[in-house]
Amino acid sequence: MDVELRDIYKTFGAVRANVGITLRVPAGTIQGILGENGAGKSTLMKILSGFMRADSGGIILDGRPVSIHSPADAIRCGVGMLHQDPLDFPPMRVIDNFILGRKGGLLPGQAEAARDFKRLAEQFGFSLNPDSYVDALTVGERQQLEILRLLWLGARALIFDEPTTGISAAQKEKLFAALRLLAEQGKTILFVSHKLEDVEGLCHRVAVLRQGYLVGEAQPPYTTKNLVEMMFGKSISAGERNPCAGGGSTLILDNLSVEDYRLKVRDVSLDVCRGEVIGLAGMEGSGQGLFLRAVSGMVRTVGGRILAGGKDLTGKSYHAFKRNGVAFLPAARLEEGLVSGLNLTEHFVLSEPPDGFFINWEQGGALARERIAGFNVKGTPASTVESLSGGNQQRALLALLRDPLALLLLEHPTRGLDIESTIYIWSKLKERCKQGTSIIFMSSDLDEILQYSDRVLVFFSGRVTPPLDASMLKTDKLGQLIGGKGWDEFTTGKSA
Amino acid sequence: MRKILAKIAFLSIAAILVLSACGGGGGSQLAPLGDEFTFGMILVGPHNDHGWTQAHYDAGLYVEQQIPGAKMIYLENVYSGSPAYPGTTTSQLAEQLVAQGAKLIIFNSDDMKDEATKFAQDHPDIYVIMASGDQVWADGNAYIAMENMTNIMGRMEYGKMIAGCTAALTSQTGKIGYLGPLINDETRRLASSAYLGAKYCWAQAGNDPAALEFKVTWIGFWFNIPGVTSDPTQVADDFFNSGYDVVISGIDTTEAITEAKKYSDAGTPVWAIPYDYQGACDTAPGVCLGVPYFNWGPAYAATIKTAQTGDWTSEFQWNGPDWANINNPDTSAVGFVKGAALGADASTQLDQFIADLAGGLNLWVGPINLQDGVVYLADGVIATDQQIWYLPQLLEGMEGQSVSE
Amino acid sequence: MKKNIWVNLGFQAGALLVAMLVTTGILAAAGAPPFQAYWSMLKGAFGSWDSIVTILISWSPLLLTTAGVLITFSAGLWNIGVEGQMGVGAIFTTGMMLLLQDTSLPPALIIILGILAGIIGGALWAALAGALKVFGGVNEIFGGLGLNFVATALTIYLVFGPWARPGVASMSGTKPFERELWLPTLPGTSLSLWALGLSILAIAAVYLLLRGTHFGLRLKAVGKNPKAAFLLGVPTWQYSMFAFLLCGALAGLAGAIQVVGLRHNLLPNISNGYGFLGLLVAMLVNYQALWAAPVAFFFVALNTGSVQLQINYKMDSSFAGVLQSLLVLLVLLGEGARQRFLGTARKAEPSESEIRNKQVK
Repeated sequence: MDVELRDIYKTFGAVRANVGITLRVPAGTIQGILGENGAGKSTLMKILSGFMRADSGGIILDGRPVSIHSPADAIRCGVGMLHQDPLDFPPMRVIDNFILGRKGGLLPGQAEAARDFKRLAEQFGFSLNPDSYVDALTVGERQQLEILRLLWLGARALIFDEPTTGISAAQKEKLFAALRLLAEQGKTILFVSHKLEDVEGLCHRVAVLRQGYLVGEAQPPYTTKNLVEMMFGKSISAGERNPCAGGGSTLILDNLSVEDYRLKVRDVSLDVCRGEVIGLAGMEGSGQGLFLRAVSGMVRTVGGRILAGGKDLTGKSYHAFKRNGVAFLPAARLEEGLVSGLNLTEHFVLSEPPDGFFINWEQGGALARERIAGFNVKGTPASTVESLSGGNQQRALLALLRDPLALLLLEHPTRGLDIESTIYIWSKLKERCKQGTSIIFMSSDLDEILQYSDRVLVFFSGRVTPPLDASMLKTDKLGQLIGGKGWDEFTTGKSA
Repeated sequence: MRKILAKIAFLSIAAILVLSACGGGGGSQLAPLGDEFTFGMILVGPHNDHGWTQAHYDAGLYVEQQIPGAKMIYLENVYSGSPAYPGTTTSQLAEQLVAQGAKLIIFNSDDMKDEATKFAQDHPDIYVIMASGDQVWADGNAYIAMENMTNIMGRMEYGKMIAGCTAALTSQTGKIGYLGPLINDETRRLASSAYLGAKYCWAQAGNDPAALEFKVTWIGFWFNIPGVTSDPTQVADDFFNSGYDVVISGIDTTEAITEAKKYSDAGTPVWAIPYDYQGACDTAPGVCLGVPYFNWGPAYAATIKTAQTGDWTSEFQWNGPDWANINNPDTSAVGFVKGAALGADASTQLDQFIADLAGGLNLWVGPINLQDGVVYLADGVIATDQQIWYLPQLLEGMEGQSVSE
Repeated sequence: MKKNIWVNLGFQAGALLVAMLVTTGILAAAGAPPFQAYWSMLKGAFGSWDSIVTILISWSPLLLTTAGVLITFSAGLWNIGVEGQMGVGAIFTTGMMLLLQDTSLPPALIIILGILAGIIGGALWAALAGALKVFGGVNEIFGGLGLNFVATALTIYLVFGPWARPGVASMSGTKPFERELWLPTLPGTSLSLWALGLSILAIAAVYLLLRGTHFGLRLKAVGKNPKAAFLLGVPTWQYSMFAFLLCGALAGLAGAIQVVGLRHNLLPNISNGYGFLGLLVAMLVNYQALWAAPVAFFFVALNTGSVQLQINYKMDSSFAGVLQSLLVLLVLLGEGARQRFLGTARKAEPSESEIRNKQVK
């Protein structure tokens, strides 16, 4: 199906998400939509798929203008969207989920649907058991189910929003094969991503969005540099390592033990020096999160001692830790880090110790402007935090940190951020390190761990390696440890 | 936005001040009502409660009929903390009636006593009739001089004596229950009168005086307020379940007779005597022995006429029955209508009792002891009005709470 | 931004219009000619000095409970228990006055001590709900509801029991205090400028508190996202407790004013639904303290004006309550409609990282 977006405008308050975007995608094309977070890709795709309405502009499918007011309208017109978080209903069976959304009689033709499901799945080489439950599926399998469902509903143009996040390499290969097959069948594929590698490897054409504008289009062969420049408007460089400079400890853990209802982390000893970066690696839920929260004072420890900034803070509250220069930034920025509904100025006022009973709003506003500029946050002092994109929320969180800081603890500091934001965030973090702040962060991105850490702790089911020198650590070795292999050389839990 | 709001606020305050300056005051002297006038009634219950409040409402209609230029307006369900008027006091509601043109206000419940006093004092230009009150009884215990207030009450002691007598003549178990409202002077006096009537007729019929049981259970207010008072239905049931076969109601509403019908229909021979309203037996004639009722109309009409002509004087009226015919609608303040369930013999004996009362029989004569055994009236001593009105306890021989605990 | 305000106002006006239409329908169905009925309500509310005084008298407790619930709302708490807090305030005030009325203390001092006792009583009762919530994990709605019942039971017990009038057991209430122990009122009325002034002061203070102080901002942060507020350094449970205490104090003051300024005794249901009405007002103004005062005024004017409906058309006076609830429902509905038709104007689309975070979890 030929898909054409014509002169699409969409604003959210003061934020212009889409500005006069015109894009033509002929049938049988895999069209990449590239752009950093907040560039307007998701908005544009939500408009096409009926989740949102444009302020102005038109959608033309196969040469005919259509009006799409809801996802149901969209699928009637042949447009279907796969979300990052596939919109399924976990407690259902695969086949029930498949049938869901089908227009028609009270009693869905189960048998017919099952036949169709089997046929479609075979066509794409998906091995999905129609009777298994959706919540048992991996993210990749859910994606496959969603593709089948949309095709069965008659989708001829399919939108994929960051589909390679959270799926395995094998599943990614399978997905790409499926996408190519779909394109051969004449389906139109819109592939939204900020991952250059994926876009370069898959797409027939790429459109790049920046700050709401369509800033350029490209066709193979792609040059990465060119794409990056279009995305960010400038070249960016990678961060540099900042080895331990000495000059005393900011954190000493002495046989620290911590546990929750399903996991025990035992006897961790660690001495972190000024300006050092410690990376915590491991599969999600291996104990690194618990450990990090224990070190921040948010989770009561069950044994051992914590000394931060020279003081014994064992058993003290998070706020006591905070007063002693320990800060914690959660991964769930809007859930735990920022207060939805409050604007940036209010956040900055909140983060500073009160200077009297009444708020000096002028002073707060000035502080906000200064920090917003200093941390390159795309927003105004009056922007509410939920109106910011993820990268900007993370910048805002960093901007909220007070000085001086002995120890900064971060959960997934760059999760969901684009390259530019990632590099920017780390440059800011490294600045902190130069001022003597130590950093402990957890990440599931091995490259991030290896690139920015001075030392690494690997977690596996509550077991912890001694601190490993990051410069000596290879990716494959780290991967093995995370997967639970190669632990024999360590005496469990005991560390230097 | 804020500025607009500030302006609106300012303007409204200004408007209120101007309005109030214009609407202020009124005279401070009582003026004759003249030919055409409005009077207001503040009713404690609903106007159709088949009880106390309906008796007043009907009296208001009677006034309208007797005085051609009179028009009644009213507010019902007015009592302390009534959810019908959140945050509004009784005197404020009376002011609402005044705003509608009422020049005379009737407060129909003892519950409004303090508020009626406050209203009368705040509005010396408005005539006030406070039913069942004693504020302007110069010989009373709570006298407050108020030119514009008159108290009116019927001598229901007689009605209750007749009711008590009826109960005693009918009861097979000799156990009479009295469904009492709240405890105060009035309710003690009326429950005790019923007891005196019952005791007298019980003995007259040749029964053993010691075999008569007379028990009072109070619910806490003039009618049921769920969650606040005891449930009168429950209290009536308790009486019938524990062998009391006649329940005399002292409350404004008809639970006693309704419950009696239920038990009677189920085969238990029980009866009830409702209260206040002439037509109260209609609810369940088959179990109704009769009803002592108030006839407020004549006193209201006469008193309002004095306000109409300028002959008003503040007074305390305690009006008795017209012994020539206690059911004369134009002359008798208190009456008793026999119920369908009253037996023929009992009816005859009751007629005799009423005739004796008319002839001067007085049951409020000593020896009468209070519930705690203290002599209240020595042998042969006739009770004064004050002694009857301000009875401090129930009488010896009665079971039940005399004062709040 | 300007345009948005007018659109918002448009939706609110639409909601008001629908509310008016529905109530007009109700009036017509009840047999009252609607426009005459509205006119008589208006006259009943503003037509005389007495009725305006009545409005002002009822305004002050409503302002106080509204001010209170605005604080707890800001802290993200549904303090349903404000009704009981007002009742306990009234109990404490009565208790203090009963204790002191026969002493040689000057009446003004007794009144002040009585009011202070009421404030403390309300705050204590609220602290109980707060403690149940913070330390016991009992949702404040259930805690508050339960404590409301207990407060009512306590009042009834006191009115019929220890504090009953001599020789009387009636829910008419305790014996009124001597006139010298009444809050001074404007001559010829029951309007106490003290009560009115305190209430206006309270709502103004709450407005300032929520808008311009560190305390207010922190309270809001706790209300909107306690986890983030905690991480930003706000001692969250203390602030929740504080919100309860302040709300309870204001409700207690409302109860105290009912005792010393209006009823002059303690009676069951002395809180008279002001707590719940305050919740309605707070919801209607979308928790904006600025609008609370005029809306509360409008509500009590409705209460006062609707009495005329009974006088003139024999309609039940609960009509005002119906109208008020309808208004709140329709305005909330209008707000929902606004968000639906104008897109989520208040909240931008969830950021990509947000969605991804969910997925990873």
